Amino acid sequence: MESALSATFEILNFGAIMVLVVLGLGIIAGMMGIFNFAHGEFVLLGAYATYLVYSFGLPVWLGMLGAPLVVGAIGFVLERLVIRHFYAAPIVAMLGTYALGLIIRESVRSLIGGLYITVPEPIVGSLTVGDVQLSRWRFAIVVITTAVVLASYLLLTRTSLGLRVRAAIENPSLARASGISTNALYAITFTFGAALAGLAGALVVPVFSLSADLGVRFLIEGFLAIMLGGIGSFEGSMAGAAVVGVLSAALPWVVAPALADVLIFVIAIVFVKFKPRGLIAERRT
Amino acid sequence: MRKQIKDSGIASMTSRRRFLQSAAWMSGAVATSVSSWVLRPGWVNAAEAPIKVGIATDLTGTIANAGNANANVAKMVVKDINNAGGILGRPIELLIVDTASNESVAVANVGRLIQRDKVDVVLGGITSGMRNAIKDVIVTRGKTLYIYPQQYEGKECTPYLFCTGPVPAQQCDQIIPWLIKNGGKRFALPSANYIWPHVLNEYTRKLIENNGGEVIFEEYYPLDQVEYGATINKIMTNNVEVVFNSIIWPGVGPFFKQLYEAGFSKRGGRLACVYYDESALSINEPQEIEGLAACLDYFRTVTALDPASARIQVEYDKEFPGKILLTAGTAATGMYRGLKLWEVAVKEAGKLDREHVAAALDHAKISEGPGGPAEMVPGKRHCRLNIYTAVVKNGNFEIAARSEGLVDPREC
Repeated sequence: MESALSATFEILNFGAIMVLVVLGLGIIAGMMGIFNFAHGEFVLLGAYATYLVYSFGLPVWLGMLGAPLVVGAIGFVLERLVIRHFYAAPIVAMLGTYALGLIIRESVRSLIGGLYITVPEPIVGSLTVGDVQLSRWRFAIVVITTAVVLASYLLLTRTSLGLRVRAAIENPSLARASGISTNALYAITFTFGAALAGLAGALVVPVFSLSADLGVRFLIEGFLAIMLGGIGSFEGSMAGAAVVGVLSAALPWVVAPALADVLIFVIAIVFVKFKPRGLIAERRT
Repeated sequence: MRKQIKDSGIASMTSRRRFLQSAAWMSGAVATSVSSWVLRPGWVNAAEAPIKVGIATDLTGTIANAGNANANVAKMVVKDINNAGGILGRPIELLIVDTASNESVAVANVGRLIQRDKVDVVLGGITSGMRNAIKDVIVTRGKTLYIYPQQYEGKECTPYLFCTGPVPAQQCDQIIPWLIKNGGKRFALPSANYIWPHVLNEYTRKLIENNGGEVIFEEYYPLDQVEYGATINKIMTNNVEVVFNSIIWPGVGPFFKQLYEAGFSKRGGRLACVYYDESALSINEPQEIEGLAACLDYFRTVTALDPASARIQVEYDKEFPGKILLTAGTAATGMYRGLKLWEVAVKEAGKLDREHVAAALDHAKISEGPGGPAEMVPGKRHCRLNIYTAVVKNGNFEIAARSEGLVDPREC
């Protein structure tokens, strides 16, 4: 019983973390057709910004609030200076964002001296349920993730900004002809995606400690999630992220951990073979 | 206004040209990147050229922190040797190349050190993977002496390859009996899935059983795993008393945190991790690793017991203040010993050819170093060392036990 409870909690928690990390990646990939290989490093920047605020003696939660703004701003500048030149050439975009990611990662590495640095949780301690101790902060992550996903979904589906963004994605020429500035919308979307990555980094840094390679691990699983969920739909990438997160936390409970890692990819490949357009296929024609 | 060029012929030409431009730019950047540098001595001997010492270590990449500590120590030791008149009347020129935490980069850079720069000795490599990748380039094809400074799993018996870090017999023989006395008999061995933990655990398991303990489980995880719910559950439900960890970064931080949150230390469990040193203390909050036991050839607190260690530590901190620390887990202490033992050997040999230096290095001794004296075991190419067991208290290590004299590596 205790095992079942802690298993459920851990799996739910890691699923939420994956969703949080993939959210921004999925929005940028789905909306703009850009595979942002620097996404892991945007997550890292969010974590680093949080650490920086904390190291100045300010409360951690302040860093967590500031991180999305800072990373969003960095994302905006990068989009204006670099990324926008890549829209016509997705392959170059991959290389370019990869290079950007490398620059960010190695810069952060030299700033923190290549160390692994702990950042405390804003909410410490554990909830005791029966004999099982559940981390309060991990619980908070699940709650915040749910709220953020819901807010993003509503923003994209229920507001006029969301409508214009979707119009610009669906048919850029027609959107422009209708007086929508796709140029500005791309900038907004990329900034938003980057800010979400920053938020993800800020929230997970107390769980995983700050290190230059923090984002690398999530990048591979993030792309796996998008492949699984289907490119081009918000719901798809969220569903994909949940599946990948839940699988990577759940499989070590049933098979040897070294095997679990491989098994996730095997499952994903088999799935994509039978449903090549993903869990929730894009309805665009 | 953005061009709509997805399917037109011009578009594919444009993007191809752009692609080629980007690729050319990137390869140019890679080719010209700084991956090595030379530190020339402050003085020269008119009659003879300087002795060339090559350092191949990970200045960039995932273990850059350890690599830079190694490079720092090498600079400090070589500066001291040069200030004291060099070796055999000749100054030392230090050539440092970056192995970049990447074996294929390393092989090329180390090859250059041997072929072009013709160094007299190479020290470096941190992971076992790195040692295996570059040892052939140095020892077999390069016909050069190689000194490996890191604690590792043992069993490296290649001629002309000398190891100056601790091996399982040195670390485990000390810490396992101590853990059984100060922790309990029920052990879990959670480990990262690569060579060092496998070989270490094989040795540890025997030792635990011989000392009346038992191994509840031994499990291996992918190197980048960060979620350990299933493992923690196994530890908590099976009443494990001692967690003898060989999970490494990035997993080790989240693992210790989750273990703490599950209440392992609250119920009196003992954490142990032989490679933990001062630079690893920042990974977790102090309360999460309170009571963690480590076992190495040097800890900073040894400076209170050994004046020579204190002098070396003060000199290092003065020359390299900042985040790159002189610690044992990063191979920095092994690097110090390696250079000093090699200095002794060259002085005894009176020349620099590999045969004579190797013969002298085979029984070289130093009376001072971080952690105390050290000596090569003749015919074994491994070091006898002082070994310390230390426990984390309020975020710092305190010495809990020390070996009686130098401990034999029992290798080769």
